[in-house]
Amino acid sequence: MSSEQTIELTLPINAAYISAARLTSSSIANRLGFGIEEIEDIKTAVSEACTFIIEKLSDSSKSPFKLKFKPNKNCVSIIFEVDANINFEFVNNETSILMIKALMDEMKVDSKNNGFVMSITKNHKVISFD
Amino acid sequence: MELIIDSKFDAQNNNWQIEINGEVDLFNSAEMKAKLLSLLDEKPADLIINCANLDYIDSTALGALVAVLKNAKEYGCDIYLKNIKHNIEKLFKITNLDKVFNIEGDENEQ
Repeated sequence: MSSEQTIELTLPINAAYISAARLTSSSIANRLGFGIEEIEDIKTAVSEACTFIIEKLSDSSKSPFKLKFKPNKNCVSIIFEVDANINFEFVNNETSILMIKALMDEMKVDSKNNGFVMSITKNHKVISFD
Repeated sequence: MELIIDSKFDAQNNNWQIEINGEVDLFNSAEMKAKLLSLLDEKPADLIINCANLDYIDSTALGALVAVLKNAKEYGCDIYLKNIKHNIEKLFKITNLDKVFNIEGDENEQ
């Protein structure tokens, strides 16, 4: 699958649809050739990112947020675009964030106009024959 | 997936035999917590939870289980998680909760 084939999903700030993000991420990760354990890691990390966003914004924002699945040669990145702000200063010890960091190879957050972008990346396992 | 929780009291062994089926996340973790707390209120006893058909739990479900465990300990009781799938056991290990709960893995799982 080429890197131009980005898949987008828009979700409301509603916990009822987190399972839709899990199903979508599992399906895409499977399509990209990830192993069973990696698929579970990606599914869990996507679910936790959605949980984090919905928990933080359920009282303050009604704007839906976007998930973009970007496949690359050796990895997949999932980008969460949120049109509302969260104070990230004290979130590093939150369980959702700890789980995402443990399960994925990279996580970063950048602010944008009136919101933020969270990006999480999982690399394909490299099998060494050394 | 719908969350289904079946429970019955085992009078012979003085514990609750519970089956949690489906997925537990932010949408229904409060429902699971309320159900388990209601069992402890009805009859304080160990909770033996069969997780063979539990497919997924998230951080809010882990938090709910910790809250139930705290309540159980106040009654002098404990929680036992049986037949837990590998993907779920991994989350307990990541969060160090494997040291807090009594966990038995799924013997049938490869």
